Amino acid sequence: MSVSSGRKTIRVLRAELDKLMTLPWTWTAVTVTFLVHLLLTAAFTSASLQEGAAVPEILNTGLASMSYLQAGFIILGILAACSEYTGGQIRTTLTVIPWRGRQLFMKHLALTLITIPAALILTASGVLYAGWRLGGHAAGVEPHEIIQALLGATGYLTLTTLLSAAVGALLRRTLPALVILLGYYFIISPWSRGLLPAYFPDTAGRYMYLPPSSGELNILTPVQGAGIVMIWTMSLVAIAIVFYRTRDA
Amino acid sequence: MKAFYAEISKLLSLPGIWLALLIGALAPAVVAALDSLAQKEDILAGVSTRLPEVGYIGLGFGIQGVIILGVLAVSSEFRTESSEGAGGQQISTSLMVVSSRLQLFLAKAVAVSVISILLCILAVILIVPTTRYILGDYAPLLEWTRLAGAVCYWTFTALLAFGLTLLTKQGMIPLTVLMINSSLVSFSVLLAKVTKLAFYLPDRAGLEMFMFTKDGVAPAATGSVFDSYHTPVTGGLIMFAWVAVLLGTAAIVFHRRDVAA
Repeated sequence: MSVSSGRKTIRVLRAELDKLMTLPWTWTAVTVTFLVHLLLTAAFTSASLQEGAAVPEILNTGLASMSYLQAGFIILGILAACSEYTGGQIRTTLTVIPWRGRQLFMKHLALTLITIPAALILTASGVLYAGWRLGGHAAGVEPHEIIQALLGATGYLTLTTLLSAAVGALLRRTLPALVILLGYYFIISPWSRGLLPAYFPDTAGRYMYLPPSSGELNILTPVQGAGIVMIWTMSLVAIAIVFYRTRDA
Repeated sequence: MKAFYAEISKLLSLPGIWLALLIGALAPAVVAALDSLAQKEDILAGVSTRLPEVGYIGLGFGIQGVIILGVLAVSSEFRTESSEGAGGQQISTSLMVVSSRLQLFLAKAVAVSVISILLCILAVILIVPTTRYILGDYAPLLEWTRLAGAVCYWTFTALLAFGLTLLTKQGMIPLTVLMINSSLVSFSVLLAKVTKLAFYLPDRAGLEMFMFTKDGVAPAATGSVFDSYHTPVTGGLIMFAWVAVLLGTAAIVFHRRDVAA
């Protein structure tokens, strides 16, 4: 049976979406991230209520748990890529879909389709919660600022997920990928902040969602930050695809 | 004893362990060197408030190595092989050879502790010349009591990772929780802003064993992350209590649980 190329691509995408949606870990990761995020936002909110003196900002408080939140999305990305390699599923996948480049690309696309709504719901719930709790005390925020910050945060989380998936596809094992990415995002990068220029994926990504009036030195605009993270993600995905095409499964 | 040697040999033959050993041995010295370089001018001018922490801060972060060690020691046993390899797990072989579950548990726990202690000593040996080289005579004195505290902190953390992984049977959750918690954005530091109870969390209490000296206590107004709350001995006891409870639970669960489940 001959199927046109476009139809084939759509079928691959649907297969990848199916696989991701039926992976139990996907839902566990998203749910746990959501619960932890709410807990942390509650902690940040009451901490900023206790500090009292300074006027708390809704956006800063609502997005304060972003640095923790990204861990959940890193896990999501790694799992999407590495679950193929547990139990030899990769051989089934490649037997059914022998177009490797297209398959991996569609996997990233399917992951994007899942991540964007998840990230949007998570970040929006944090900001909503902070807005509700801080209501009377906080400085006013313009609606367009909120929308911009939410879009930035969603974009940042989505790109981080894709980047992790690319690293996972390169390393093919869950734990080493996890150690390297968490080690970078949580240990090396916070330590070297100030030493290195802001061109690394997480430091540039911060400018995507942090409101511009946060009093820090603003080196990048949100769009520049987004561009830099996008370049990192695209190149890692491209490298992953090149290796995937040439490497023995 | 044979079970202990077997555990050591199993651990050292894991590929991931070399990453853990590398991080555990080198990262503290690198962090201590970076921190000394960053603070050198303040220290020479005599205005640094963080002098008592300079060498030790690396030990607080090199902990990553033993976290990986503790997690891998268990998660490698429970990794399911591919369906083409009959979907087996190493743990069933281990239990066939060492039929007493308690003995296997103890052998593994002791192996993890011994490697962590050796790793911490190695890290300390590397830190001393590094700080000396950069700071010269200004280098902080490394006191034996505090170093012993650091060794305890590493061993307890490795055991916490070991116990947590035994409960979850896979490495991802304990690795994520412990790695984030030992980073700059630790949950306990955040919680300490909300409730004083957070000072009784294992990592926060454990850090008291070596991170904060009495004369290094910052006034409360600075709001430093590193304000001292317990004495070193109390901190150590609190962390030990956590380790004991967690290992006890893990031992009971491991004793009663079906391996294949």
